[in-house]
Amino acid sequence: MKTDPGNSNDVPLAIERRESVSDAPDSNLSMGRGEGQDKDQNEEEFAPLQTSDVVTFYDAKSEIRSPVKLIKNIIADFLAGRELAWRLFLRNIRGLYRQTLLGLFWAFLPPIANTAIWIFLKQAGVFDMGEITVNGTVYILSGMILWQAFIDAFQMPLNMLNKNKNMISKLNFPRESLLLVGVGEVLFDLAIRMLLLIPAFLIFQVAIQPTVLLAPIAILALVLLGTALGLLIMPFGSLYQDVGRFIGMVMPFWMILTPIIYMPKTELPGSLLNWLNPASPLLLLARDWLLIGSTEFLSTGLIFAAAVLPVLLLGLIVYRISIPVLVERMTA
Amino acid sequence: MFHSSTTSNDVILDVNHVWKIYCRHLKRAMWYGIKDLGREVIGAGQDRTQKDLRTGEFFAVRDANFQVNRGECLAMIGPNGAGKSTMLKMVNGLIKPDSGSIAITGKIGALIELGTGFNPILSGRENIYINAAVLGMKKTEVDLLFDKIVEFAELGHVIDDPIKTYSSGMRVRLGFSVAANLRPQLLLMDEVLAVGDVGFRMKCFSHLNKLVKSGVSIILVTHAVGMLQRVATRSVVFGQGKIVHDGELETGCTIYEEMLGASDRVRAKKKETSGRVAGVGDVEVCNASGQPQLEFETGETIQLRVHLNAQETVKNARLVVALCSPVHGVLSSISTAYQDVRFDVDAPGCVVTLKLPEIPLLIGSYHFNISLLGPETTDFYHRSSLRGVFRIVGPPTDANGYGLNGITKITHGWKVNG
Repeated sequence: MKTDPGNSNDVPLAIERRESVSDAPDSNLSMGRGEGQDKDQNEEEFAPLQTSDVVTFYDAKSEIRSPVKLIKNIIADFLAGRELAWRLFLRNIRGLYRQTLLGLFWAFLPPIANTAIWIFLKQAGVFDMGEITVNGTVYILSGMILWQAFIDAFQMPLNMLNKNKNMISKLNFPRESLLLVGVGEVLFDLAIRMLLLIPAFLIFQVAIQPTVLLAPIAILALVLLGTALGLLIMPFGSLYQDVGRFIGMVMPFWMILTPIIYMPKTELPGSLLNWLNPASPLLLLARDWLLIGSTEFLSTGLIFAAAVLPVLLLGLIVYRISIPVLVERMTA
Repeated sequence: MFHSSTTSNDVILDVNHVWKIYCRHLKRAMWYGIKDLGREVIGAGQDRTQKDLRTGEFFAVRDANFQVNRGECLAMIGPNGAGKSTMLKMVNGLIKPDSGSIAITGKIGALIELGTGFNPILSGRENIYINAAVLGMKKTEVDLLFDKIVEFAELGHVIDDPIKTYSSGMRVRLGFSVAANLRPQLLLMDEVLAVGDVGFRMKCFSHLNKLVKSGVSIILVTHAVGMLQRVATRSVVFGQGKIVHDGELETGCTIYEEMLGASDRVRAKKKETSGRVAGVGDVEVCNASGQPQLEFETGETIQLRVHLNAQETVKNARLVVALCSPVHGVLSSISTAYQDVRFDVDAPGCVVTLKLPEIPLLIGSYHFNISLLGPETTDFYHRSSLRGVFRIVGPPTDANGYGLNGITKITHGWKVNG
């Protein structure tokens, strides 16, 4: 299926004739049925219709057969969906806190509560964090914030699809705009939570390292990796609810397997986690850049960051291709 | 991507031998979904035919073939589950055809569910921008149309209040108003005309007429065939996934009414019991000269020939014939006793003819319910429903108050000032 909403550059045979053609306004105007039936003098008639000769074509062939065009279409839809994405983003953000008493506080609460519990457990001697060079509270708090961003991004595509089922199954709009909204929301929540680090740095007197400036790169890569993985499971999650339940079940374990509340292990078998757990390398790199300055995870982190792009592209292709198949099976 | 050979400059939509397969079995549908996804990802998606049907699958749309021209309003009608909405979804690009192709020239817009994307907490003003963006309008375009949209919806006094304080009618008005001010080259509408109060509905019709005049093509899916004449010029009738009629609106509406009758007919047939003493046999609808005919014009003569049979003689039989419309029910019930027509039905059977000169019926589909009785009230022999279907196909009626409308043409005269 090839669509080109509004953008004709990628349509080889479409004739570009967009000088707001008013082919034959006279003949068109008189084509309507029942002339003289709408002689309401007060209401003005429409100006001649703006027309374009761009042809949209649908058939059974897979869009992926012409991969270059597919990627062009994805990019075109991202561009076409910017405005819609911005509107929906504003709608969601405005709607989110308008009917709450505590407002933005709800964004701060989960990482604070989580950190408080783990710090309490640590102080009580329930577990050993390992040897760390910075304050434990700031270490856990920053880890929690980054983990939350990753897992939000991972669940975002499926959540977006489920939340907007009604719109997706009834209207044809650039589907990619929903992903822009989703990533925007994840980053917005992340940015708000990051504000927590400012008082935390001050209270626990953590020195700011110059590598803080590099941290956004690793954080963005972490969020995009989460998104890409989320995109790949989205179609299965949409067809089978088992997937959503499974994710809900394994999430706490996944968090424990990520070095958030403890120092990463450097020896086998513990160090395996730094490679096998896709969340680990970028999270560790981001946190080291944020708090410590030096990092042992530069190479692992960069390898994963480099992998983000192809995985993300694959995820976007799967997302685009799967939506018509999923819409067929949506109850609307 | 190609221009199909039939696409001339005036054809906005070209639906070319389109088939669509669905599966009603939930678990299978999900599993097929995974398989279809796999096929799409490896690029193996291609036309599927009868032999590719998997267990539990059926054709929701079969070999649909039609075109829509510039500035044409097409009504898509048919019983529930006939494939109209599926067809519309394919045209809208929401789902892919399983075979065949669809080519659309220019911008396409859809009014499927009014107010999709509304957020109840936000104000009407904010929601106009959101809804318009969902429908593909840019902010600058909305800025220009904003006052018009509010005015059309007649909501100027509450436009800054949250949508959740609006009545359902107000929400619908806002939704229609945003969508109606879109001017795509092809506008798809699914059952949205049945909303709002009468005044607003009339306004919508007049707006749609203006859209059509300005060159917008419209596809209208609805069950409310009575309203179609206000805007539509042509109809495509779907029955069990197939297009059974493509052409004149009136004929299409008649065929649709007939299909509604047909489902009743199946039910009626099941109820009929055998082994009766006397009953109604073949029934024919004929013209004035006695030739069987299906289609008539208002004012022509119709003759109904009813064959009656009996195993033992029925003396002084009565025949009661009810003229019916699938939509309006019994229009008139006529009996032989009323005109003192006496007859006996004996073993070889007999034929009773009912002549209806100058039939006053207007465009539509009609049929008869026929009952055979004896002389006494309780002497019931047989009732046969939905027999002798015929159509009135002309002259055209008019729903805008410039001609005749309704089901019958009554004799009348006008006088002004005394």
